[in-house]
Amino acid sequence: MQLAEISPNPYHPNLMRIAGFADETRDVRTLKLQFIDAAEASEFGGWQPGQFGQFTVFGAGESVFAIANKPWHPNGSGEPPTIECTFRAIGKVTTALRAMSEGQTIGFRGPYGNHFPLDDWKGKSLVFIGGGIGMAALRSAMLAAIDRKTEFGDIVILNGARTVADMVYKDEMPSWQEVEGVRVVRTVDPGGEGEGWDGEVGLLPNVFEQLALDPANRIVIACGPPVMLHYLFLSLGKTGYQPDQVVTTLENKMKCGIGHCGRCYVGPFSVCKDGPVVTWAELNELPKDY
Amino acid sequence: MNRTAWKLTETQMREWLQGLVDAGSSVVAPVEEDGLTLFSPIAAAQPAHLEASGKTQWSPKEFLFPRSEALYRYSLKGDTVEIRDPEVAETQQVLFGIRCCDAAGLMRLDEIFLSGTKDPLYAARRAATTVVTAACAAADAECFCTAVGGSPVATEGSDAQLVPLADGWMLRVLTDKGEALVGEASGSWTEAAPDDIARIDGLEKIVTEQITRNPIQREWSRVLEEGFENASWDQLAQHCLGCSICAYVCPSCSCFDMNHEADAWCGEQCRSWDACTFGLFTHHASGHNPRSTRQQRYRQRVLHKFSFAGEGEDHFRCVGCGRCIALCPAGLDIGEIVTAAATAIQEEGADAAR
Repeated sequence: MQLAEISPNPYHPNLMRIAGFADETRDVRTLKLQFIDAAEASEFGGWQPGQFGQFTVFGAGESVFAIANKPWHPNGSGEPPTIECTFRAIGKVTTALRAMSEGQTIGFRGPYGNHFPLDDWKGKSLVFIGGGIGMAALRSAMLAAIDRKTEFGDIVILNGARTVADMVYKDEMPSWQEVEGVRVVRTVDPGGEGEGWDGEVGLLPNVFEQLALDPANRIVIACGPPVMLHYLFLSLGKTGYQPDQVVTTLENKMKCGIGHCGRCYVGPFSVCKDGPVVTWAELNELPKDY
Repeated sequence: MNRTAWKLTETQMREWLQGLVDAGSSVVAPVEEDGLTLFSPIAAAQPAHLEASGKTQWSPKEFLFPRSEALYRYSLKGDTVEIRDPEVAETQQVLFGIRCCDAAGLMRLDEIFLSGTKDPLYAARRAATTVVTAACAAADAECFCTAVGGSPVATEGSDAQLVPLADGWMLRVLTDKGEALVGEASGSWTEAAPDDIARIDGLEKIVTEQITRNPIQREWSRVLEEGFENASWDQLAQHCLGCSICAYVCPSCSCFDMNHEADAWCGEQCRSWDACTFGLFTHHASGHNPRSTRQQRYRQRVLHKFSFAGEGEDHFRCVGCGRCIALCPAGLDIGEIVTAAATAIQEEGADAAR
């Protein structure tokens, strides 16, 4: 008997065509993906900002990336969505994915996980803090917030990278600032500046402190390497932020995406099912195991 | 509902088992192979190694959660990909003569694979499986089911249960599936007398007294979670080699890996057993590893069994079969380690309060 006759296979990926891509840096690329199969496209339920997917390179395996473009939901128009993801070529699957060209076929399953609660942030000012490729996990929520700017206070976007060459979304940052009340701050680690750099120089937590934003009625949304988050939380504590004002997204190693394989567990918390989005307050309740 | 309990002679039990094999079910039972007792599908009742005590080297979990299996297969055709879901066997399966701890282990697997998004392959096998446990008349040296809330005559997870008596077996029918498995066979059987049924308690008492390991206290779950960073873990787990035999033989360990096994044209998404005690288990592509030391990984294994409960779960995930104790090449004893860790954490707390 075919499995499909009994129940849907959660591991069966949708087939996606690489419709285009943009190279962000030497090793970071953003893909635009479109459904190949009309039936799969029509069954797709869309995604919320902060959710992620499993992307398949047939022959190499699967990798987890955040869905990086604005949230999409079926709107009755029958127009299928384009899914974007930003990834760094660093392991077996991502190196194989980087070698693929426009028109080729990959797999996608998802979306998985919880999401950034944009509706809860209405009326508040927002700061998005992305370290390196961490920016990719914030982009969906950030673009949605810019789109819905009238619902929020001011929006500050802090995009940090090790060097100028490592900064992602360089080309589109100017367009984010076109909306009134949105400010983009770019920073590179000391030594990473180079000639002609007109942004900030300094580690993200320090640059954040220098901005001297008023913590009142503000939400901080941060994603980056563990060491950056560690020092950022210290800065946030020092500058008067409460743990429930700070939201991050855990990027553990994952395989199944549905809470079964055990890889992303942090204590009783399954990052793929209960996360990836957590507040700093929730993180404080978990064992330091991420 | 009151279910029947039957009294069977050894011959009647073997005839029933032979009937199950003849009816075309896949009957999995303990068999002796190269000096080891292992679960294996049997073609005739005779080789089934149904003893009053002793257990198999491996748990029976692989018959519901195979060591490796394809989640889908695919082939590349030009620029397109064809994906085929796996076939599901339609044969009914009987797990015959598994121990009560192993049946409890299957319940722990259910909590993982049948919660939230159901695993369809596991669910299909589970639905087609009937479990006949064999209660224990004696404990092995490593057994500690009673220390973790189990019992040598526990019925959790059993559709029917064989209880060894001095003069044959008692068969307790516990569910509709168990009832269906007995079917017409009970025509020549006699019902168990109240005296026989009363012997179950006696059996439980005898075996329980043979288990020498101290009970794991329920409240240690909280103690262990609070003492996550207690220094005693470094010393308690320092002998762990990271070989992960404990996870492979464990009836409740369910972690798995997924990889593409492929050539240039076709392949499969292959799921295989994995273990949190392996160094690469949580290793990020970036190089970051939340559990970079063997001590951290061993602590994760112990705490996932005894501390980190899912919502609404009020039992340990360890079922006390003792296989990990028997087979650990470094001689680690999970029962002793939990006790030592909880004690160290409580002592530290008491010192701090002083």
